[in-house]
Order: sequence, then C-alpha cells, then structure tokens
Amino acid sequence: MLHRLSPQTIRILALLVVLLLVILFFSTQVPNYLSGRLFNRVSSSVAIMALIATAQTLVILTRNIDLSIGSVVGFVAFATGSLITDNPDLHWTLLVAFSITLGMFFGMINGFFVAVAKVPAIIVTLGTLALFRSVLVEFSDAKSIVTANLPTWLINFPNTPLLEIGTLQLRASFAVAVAVVLVVHIALSRIRIARKLYAVGSNPEAAEMAGINIGLTVFTAFVLSGALAGLAGFLFLARFGTITVVAGLGFELKSVAAAVVGGVNIFGGSGLVIGALIGAILVDLIDSSLVRWHLVSEFWREAVLGGLILLAVTMDTLVMRSLAVWRTARSNSKEDRRANVQSP
Amino acid sequence: MCEPLLRLENVTKRFGMTTALQDMSLDIFSGEVHAIVGENGAGKSTIIKIMTGIHQTTEGRLVIDGTARNISGARAARDIGIAAIYQEPMVFPDLDVAENIFISARSGWFLNQAQLHAEAQRLLGRIGIALDSSSIASGLTLAAQQAVEIARALSQDVRILIMDEPTASLSAHEAKQLRKVARTLAEEGVAVIYISHRLEEIFDIADRVTVIRDGIHISTRPIGDVTSEGMVSEMVGRDVGNYFVKAPSTVTSNSLLRVEHLTREGIFSDISFDLMQGEVLCMAGLVGARRTDVALALFGINPSSSGQIFYKGRQINPSCAREAMDAGIAYVSEDRRKLGLAMPMSLRSNVSLATLRSFVGRWGFLDQSLERMTALEYRDRLNIRAPDVELSVGMLSGGNQQKTMLAKWLRMKPDVLIFDEPTRGIDIGAKAEVHALIREFVANGGGAIVISSDLPEVLAMGDRILVMREGRQMGIVNSTETGQETIMRLATGQASVEAA
Repeated sequence: MLHRLSPQTIRILALLVVLLLVILFFSTQVPNYLSGRLFNRVSSSVAIMALIATAQTLVILTRNIDLSIGSVVGFVAFATGSLITDNPDLHWTLLVAFSITLGMFFGMINGFFVAVAKVPAIIVTLGTLALFRSVLVEFSDAKSIVTANLPTWLINFPNTPLLEIGTLQLRASFAVAVAVVLVVHIALSRIRIARKLYAVGSNPEAAEMAGINIGLTVFTAFVLSGALAGLAGFLFLARFGTITVVAGLGFELKSVAAAVVGGVNIFGGSGLVIGALIGAILVDLIDSSLVRWHLVSEFWREAVLGGLILLAVTMDTLVMRSLAVWRTARSNSKEDRRANVQSP
Repeated sequence: MCEPLLRLENVTKRFGMTTALQDMSLDIFSGEVHAIVGENGAGKSTIIKIMTGIHQTTEGRLVIDGTARNISGARAARDIGIAAIYQEPMVFPDLDVAENIFISARSGWFLNQAQLHAEAQRLLGRIGIALDSSSIASGLTLAAQQAVEIARALSQDVRILIMDEPTASLSAHEAKQLRKVARTLAEEGVAVIYISHRLEEIFDIADRVTVIRDGIHISTRPIGDVTSEGMVSEMVGRDVGNYFVKAPSTVTSNSLLRVEHLTREGIFSDISFDLMQGEVLCMAGLVGARRTDVALALFGINPSSSGQIFYKGRQINPSCAREAMDAGIAYVSEDRRKLGLAMPMSLRSNVSLATLRSFVGRWGFLDQSLERMTALEYRDRLNIRAPDVELSVGMLSGGNQQKTMLAKWLRMKPDVLIFDEPTRGIDIGAKAEVHALIREFVANGGGAIVISSDLPEVLAMGDRILVMREGRQMGIVNSTETGQETIMRLATGQASVEAA
C-alpha cells in the first residue's frame, strides 16, 4: 500500500495528522479552544502566511531562497497605504494591480542578481532584505500609515464573510489566499513551463542538457514570487491598517518554515503548494495558539517556530532516506528474482 | 549507402594547449549502429560533446543532411534530433516517468495528464520496456532510468542517438535488453552511435566500428572485417617506450599489504594481491573496471563486505579514512577539484590538512610557522612551482596542484600510498616528476598502488600490474614480461590469466 503512494502524498497525509494532533493537544490545554472563533481567527491570519509560503515555495523549488520577502511585503503594504491615503478615490483594481506590480519589481531585482549575475540567492536576498527595508525607512519619512486615513472598503475587506455556517465564517482574505494557492497549485501541475521549475531544482545539469533555459526559469520564479509577495502586502495593509516600517519583519523565517514544514525540499525539485498551505496553517496555528497557552511564555514562540523547522526537516530527511533504502531493497529483490528466473 | 546523416569533416578540438581531437572525419548513416572504440582519453567523450553542442569545434565542421550546421548548444542538438544517454542517466529524480520523458516538449500550454501518461506508455512500449509511467524517477533502477532517457529522446523525434558506455553499470540481463532496444531503433532508421569498452557487445550489435586513438581517427570498418585482436592493437598501437624511462626495481620480500578475496557486494569481487615493500603495483583497466572502488575499500571510505586485508601481517578492517590513515595507508584521489584539494585555501593549509594534529602547538592553537616551514620544505623537495606558500592552490597549474596533493599525503609518512590516476591531465614534464616521486617513495621503504589508464605509464611505473575488468581481477602480470596488448586483452575480457 505504502509503496503505491508518492512521497509527496505521504508527506501531505502526515502533515494533516500532525495538524490534527496539534489541535487536539491545544484543545486539552486551552479552555474553549475548539470554537468557530479559532477557525475565524486563524483563517484571517493564515491568508497572508499562505501567500508568502506559496511565494517562497516557487523560489525554493528552483533550488534558491528568498530572504527578502518580509521587506517586500512591508514595503508594498506601506507604499500601497500611502497611495490610497493620497488618492482615496482610487479604484480597488488599480490598487491591487499596484501592489502586485511593485512586488514583481522587487522580484525582478532579486531575479536579476540570481539568474543573470549568478550570485547565490542566499546572498542576494540577504542583501535586498536589508536594502528594501532601508529604502522603506527612508521613503516613509518616519511616518506611519494609519487606519483612519484608509477607505472603509479596504479595512472591511479582509473580514467580510462570504459564507457563514453557524459561527464559522469564510472570510474574504482567506478565500483570496486559498484561491491563489489553488490556482498556483493547478498551474504547477498542469502548465508545461511550470514543470521547468521542478526540473531546474531537481537536476540543473540534466535541465541544461534538456535545453531548458535555467536563467530564465529562475528569473521567472523570483518575479512570480514577488507578485505573490505584493499581493500579500496588499492583504497585510487591509488587515492591519496601521503600517509602520517594521511591517512584515520576520516573514522570511515564517515563509521558509511553512514551506519546509509543508514538505517542500529545501534543495529544490520537489514539493507541493498545497503542502506549503498546510505548513502555513500549522505554523500559524501553533503561533496563535501559544499566545493563549499560559504554561508557556509568549517569548517562546520564535523558539517553537525554529524548533519546528528543525524537527520537520530532520524527520523528513530520516523518513525519506529509509523510504529510499526500503524501495531500493524492494526493487533489488525483484531484480534478483528476475535474474534467478533467467539463469538456468 | 546514401548520403550520411551526420558527417564530421576534419574536426579539430583543442583545450588550451592540449589537442583532444585532431583532424577527425567520420560519417554516420541513418539505420546503422556505429560503434566508436578507443582507450580512456582517446577522445570519445569529446566527439560526443561536439555532436551534442556542449563543445564547439576549433577547426572543421559538422555536416547534417548535406548542409554544414553549427550545433550551438543542447537545444540546437535537440532540434536537429541528436540525443545522448550516458552511463549515469540524466533524469530528474523528483519527477515521475512521464514528466521526465516530456520535460522539454514544447507544444501546448497545458498538460493533459492522461494523454501524457498514455503517450509515455506508448513510447516505452515501442522500446519494449514495461514501466509504470507514474513512478518517481529516483526510485527506478539505472536501467529503467536509461529507458526513460531513451523514451525522452524518442519523444523528440531523435535521429541520432548516442549511447556512451550505456551498459557499464547494468547487469548482464539489463545490458542485453538495452542492446535490443538499440537494435530496434536502428531498424526504425535511427543512427545509433554506440560507445563501449565491452568488445563482445560491439560484435553483438554494431554494423560498423571506428577506432580512435589519442584524438586521431585510426579506422572505420564494417564489423565483418574486424577481429578483436585487430581492434585492440589499433586501440593501443602507438609508439611505446619513448615516453617514460623504466626505473630500477626496488622490490623486497617484505609484505606490506596483503589482500585476500576482497569483495564489495555488487561492485567488485575476489580481489587478492600482495604489495611488497619497495614495490609499485599498478592497477590497469577500462572505465567501469572498479579500480577506484577497490582503492576506496582499502582506504576505508566504502568498506568491503567480505575478504581480508593484512597490513604488515596484522589484519585490519578500516571502516573510515581515519582508521586507514592511522594504520599508515593514504589515498591520493583522481579528482583533484572535488576530493583532493581545497582550491580556495593556500598551499600551506592544503599541505597540512591531512596531518593537522601534528601542527597543534601550545594552548591548542595551530602552529602556523611550523605549517609554513613544512609547506616550504615540501614545495622545494617536490619542486612545486609557486612563488609563495600563501597562494591559493586554485591558482596553480594542474601539475603543481597534483604535487601539492602528493605533499599533503607524503607529510603523513604513510607506508602504503594509493595513487588514483596521478598523472591525468598534467603535462609530460610534471608526469616525469610525479613518477620520480613515487619511485623515491617506494625506494625509501614504502609501497605504492598506482591506478592508471595510461598503458605506457603502467608498464614503465609498475613492477607488477593487476588488471581488472568490471569488478573482477583478470590477472596480475609482471611488467617486464608483458606488453600493452596483453593488458588490453585482459582489460577487455579477451583473455585471462591466473593470478601470478
């Protein structure tokens, strides 16, 4: 049975089990934990996480990493906020388009250095992490975006219930995020050029031999990732309203955590966006549940996140290795049987 | 026959000072299986790389379907219909079989999974391979991965399929199946270029055979006009004896290393030899002979699964490099860049790397002045041409890098030194110096095992020569009583002698 499932499917199933265990655990620790409010609360904060996890996944698949994602989200949130503050009558489509375009612009900068100048992504995005943030500090001129100056449609958007079942609400921001994740997921599995992301991350040498333009593929991954980070910036603005220069700080850790916990291989080539979504939900659920768990100080949240990454990747490596050994043994014994039949 | 599908016209390829191919002309016709044979380093890989667009010719041209074409890269080669498969398959380990096959297909935006899998099954069926198109590539056997590569080539309407040592890592049964596939494709009109060291395979499937030697075309004949003896003598038939001077032997009767029935399951089996003090034992063989694997077993990197190793009469069983080093065995790798040297580091730190313990001074700090003195001493003794020992070794020439690597291991003062292709890719002057160093080492009471694919070198260096073929010991011959052709016949499995 187990050998029929792909490693990815096994990962997703395992994640769902872990998710369930986490919910069960906290329900014994926190009074009134299992309620519609939990779902609603997690669903609105997970929207942003899901987008940045998806953005990060696109880049990680190509054997790269984007550490600047938090700065991009913060910058886009702030810039979009300034734009709407100055032009309150701007149509919402233009505003969203602005966010996404700005995010793509940052993605192009990262992509240029990684794909064209061939600088390792970890160095490039570590640099732009600081660079984009500093430009934001300069651009903000020590001011903040405040909720009072934003149009009400924007502030109300994230929590608008599209669907209500009892106390459970399907809120607009969550719906947007899930829709985006699904679109990206389907695109990655169905669109021909998307397959190149996997190919480049899986075996760059073979990709080159297969005539795939590696530079262009990596560049595209960064630009798409930037676009998603831009959209996340828009949702960030809508959700919080008040935007300071520290907006999106620490998102690089959270996005990488969500992706690797969701089974995306940090060395590229394998992983599903759905996995990253579940990873994002798990990370966010633990993060927000710890706030309500009185046994553990709030200051431990970061540590738990870090520990979770280590645990997920260690488990993954160990399980996948033994799975590989087991499969090789299986196919070898099959081979032996065949050879025995052949020899007289 | 009609017009050739692909013609190499007077192709010359140089890399810096070395000439890999010299005035090579070759015709490939559709529907033939064309074997190319030659020793290691004869230029076979260069021919493949030129045909697949990885290298460009220095002189001469490629004519395809009667028109001169420039193959600028992998994509251009694919568009013409040239594909290559190698001993190590180039698959995407995380993708499934169907995805691997159609990775560079270009028609249509959307993938129709059902149609892809059906098409994949059809292609695999065409070459008679039963394989589930939804299996992930990393879980497949090498043979299956190669089948995936062939199916990928077919999906791109391949007209010339190059197979480079495709059977070197396969079992006999798998190899036979692969040859059948090659034959089937040729009958469908594909030109198959088949490169193999297994001469019996060539007699099994080739229509024509081209022999190359030292980058020069020697002959192209229909298979019916070729004998294995003729082929072997053409492969090795260069002027011998002028390259290297044979040094006087210093062999004693003290056994340093005794290896009995050493086996590593599925890799090599039943290797037995004695290494005497003062002896140079050469290991000869072709690609896939598994000589390096034997060396790595002795050095503890990939331990053997059965058999015994006696070091100065005491049984040892090294399970990691440290244990082998502590016993007194050192291994100088063939891959300078990957396994031999830390390229960005200085000559000084590379020389001390294997013996760092002995440089730890007071307070546990490294004694840098001792390191420096040692490096300078070895630089002068080994004649490493570097103005200063603080220079990073990446900036030195290949020959000087090789000598730096020797310095690192000589500093360990081992009793047994294993050299893996110690003179590959270095110029003739440096080769002679390396030979002299190895001789000096054994004259001072050491024993050396030298793995080399250069037959004149093997004959000049070795006191005895152990010939391997596909993980088996074909025999041990005395270098004064043997010639290149004998070794080649052993290495290609045309003959075997009982261990001397």
